[in-house]
Amino acid sequence: MDEAPGLSDQYRTASPWPVFIALGIPISELGLLFDLFPLAVGGLLLFGGSVVGILKESGYVTSTIRAVTALAVIFLAFGAWLAFTDIALVTRGYAVIAAAILLAVGGVVFELFVREQRQTF
Amino acid sequence: MEVNGQLALTVLMGVFLIAVAAWLARVEDWRSYTPLAGGGTVGGTAEQYVSEEKPSGVIRWLTTVDHKDIGMLYGAYALIAFAVGGLMVVLMRIELADPSMTLISNTFYNSLLTSHGITMLFLFGTPIIAAFSNYFIPLLIGADDMAFPRINAIAFWLLPPAALLIWAGFFPIPDVIPAQTAWTMYTPLSAGVGSGNQVNAGVDLMLLGLHLSGVSATMGAINFIATIFTERDEKVSWANLDIFSWTILTQSGLILFAFPLLGSAIAMLLLDRNFGTMFFSVDGGAILWQHLFWFFGHPEVYILVLPPMGIVSLVLPRFAGRRLFGFKFVVYSTLAIGVLSFGVWAHHMFATGIDPRLRASFMAVSLAIAIPSAVKTFNWITTMWNGKIRLTTPMLFCIGFVSNFIIGGVTGVFLASIPVDLVLHDTYYVVGHFHYIVMGAIAFAGFAGLYYWFPIYTGRMYQVTLGKWHFWLSMVGTNLTFFAMILLGYGGMPRRYATYLPQFATLHQVATVGALILLVGQIIFVWNFAQSWLEGREVEDGDPWDLADDDLTTAEWTWFERKLETAVTDGGEDETELATDGGQAVDDADADSADDA
Ligand code: HEM
Ligand SMILES: [Cu+2]
Repeated sequence: MDEAPGLSDQYRTASPWPVFIALGIPISELGLLFDLFPLAVGGLLLFGGSVVGILKESGYVTSTIRAVTALAVIFLAFGAWLAFTDIALVTRGYAVIAAAILLAVGGVVFELFVREQRQTF
Repeated sequence: MEVNGQLALTVLMGVFLIAVAAWLARVEDWRSYTPLAGGGTVGGTAEQYVSEEKPSGVIRWLTTVDHKDIGMLYGAYALIAFAVGGLMVVLMRIELADPSMTLISNTFYNSLLTSHGITMLFLFGTPIIAAFSNYFIPLLIGADDMAFPRINAIAFWLLPPAALLIWAGFFPIPDVIPAQTAWTMYTPLSAGVGSGNQVNAGVDLMLLGLHLSGVSATMGAINFIATIFTERDEKVSWANLDIFSWTILTQSGLILFAFPLLGSAIAMLLLDRNFGTMFFSVDGGAILWQHLFWFFGHPEVYILVLPPMGIVSLVLPRFAGRRLFGFKFVVYSTLAIGVLSFGVWAHHMFATGIDPRLRASFMAVSLAIAIPSAVKTFNWITTMWNGKIRLTTPMLFCIGFVSNFIIGGVTGVFLASIPVDLVLHDTYYVVGHFHYIVMGAIAFAGFAGLYYWFPIYTGRMYQVTLGKWHFWLSMVGTNLTFFAMILLGYGGMPRRYATYLPQFATLHQVATVGALILLVGQIIFVWNFAQSWLEGREVEDGDPWDLADDDLTTAEWTWFERKLETAVTDGGEDETELATDGGQAVDDADADSADDA
């Protein structure tokens, strides 16, 4: 086992994720409403990443990569709906799509490199 | 936005995300998560590591999912919002000390008016109730924690960004001015139509913040419903569920139906403002907004008043030396109010020219809703009748609640009558009516709870004399301010104006004096609260109110007693009490990690 246990392993009533979920929502909303590309992407990443983190921590999902993929697909669909339908909020749609892609890439990187490391401990 | 701005924003966002990731990597070992079923219990993630309840310092408060800590966070948040909203209105009342525009501009007055209302209802009212319910519901029903502790934490953490967005217009951000839509946000004004300045992004920010606070309230409500239904101790049946839990359950049901509707209406308004939709600008759009808003808005007033009624129903009998008179009927009235409150919304729209037949039916239901409210009032009075009354500070606030609620309720019944309302609508009479309830009753019940449970959450006792000063200044201030408003309304003084005709000056000055008295009272409260918390006499007895003498102890005091005892025996300070409840979760985890191996 790990020498340095994480916060939510060590303490029964602590979790680092709620704050970031709560921050991700308004940041992405601001980004999408005012068409601020970086805020939209960053907020969605923060939100998506933390959602996966909290789901994993609480044992609602077992595979990080599957949870990330599911979220990325939802984002992708939402982004495509904004960008390519009659709604035609093109830049906002692209922001959501960008967030989806970055989230998926992040998930793969995590799966390939970060998780691997653990088994070599 | 310019390319430069976008670039700066990108860099800022990137740095922020990296900082978050780095911090997370430092405090959290997310690779260690073991797949476990049932994330509902906090203990679920525990491996052998579980050694303590919570980390120390700021990190404890940022990461806590313990219902008691979250209750404290809600409480601190609500009291800060109360101070902000209160100082806003003090400025407004000083401006109103003379008829013309003197201290602040009319537009600034409108901004303060808007923010005061929204701050008090959404950032003080709902959170102060959540403070009590988070801390005490699990204790009262014998649960280890809320059903979804993490969702509980998310719900709280949505509130600070909500406050920042709602107040954003007051911050020195270029080109952003505060909203001046009043808390009701009537269209077309709030849709930014016309030559006014309500197209400004300040309104959008406020709408986003309001939306966020609604999401927070909804998450909390789902959590309370799940907790009260599924997490009760075997000993706690529906028949002996305490009155406060009943009111929170009903309130959560109301939130579940009301707040998502507000959220949708706000989303539609945002679409109208920013994306060229025309929900509220076509024919009938203005009235559509009012229907949607008040379908939420009226239940909202009961969302705010039911749990305070629960607090009073719980606290008042303890100092009357007897059980709550007609407990069952108080519960039935709570449920009846909950159902009826969805059938009265158009009493806010009697003057809009809606169909008179519709109007009459809303008048009937509005008059009917006064019945369960009156049932409760009579039950409180009969509980005190011939009782062994002890006039402690929480009891004084409970009695103040009943007294102010009667005036607030009776003025409401008059407003529910169409012919009377057509005269009094949009006057100070309405302002007087609802402030008797929101300040005179809801805030009073909040203070009753804060004093009553002070020993539990601080381990100390407040200063009794200062508590009495706080009560009497609040009681006199409230009645002076808001009774003057009722009279102003009879005189025809319209609401929401920064200036007025000289004939109203005297009553306005009375109201301002009342507000200043209130201010002094609240300063005393802050002093008493802070100083007693730090230096007050430590409570050594698990029953500081001597409830056991009358056989009126409730579960949270039993819990507190146990906590004090364990603290003494193992010399530990805080938290030790949970070592016993923690047992089960750790066992589960052990079993699970054994499976994994
Ligand atoms: C006894 C039952 C009650 C009745 C029959 C009643 C009736 C009314 C009526 C008819 C109005 C509309 C007045 C107008 O704008 O012309 C009104 C306004 C209001 N009432 Fe009540 N009320 C009752 C209890 C309450 C309670 C318990 C609360 C708060 C918790 C409350 C809060 C409000 C608020 C905030 C407004 C003003 C909304 C606004 O226009 O800004 N009322 N009430
Ligand atoms: Cu109403």
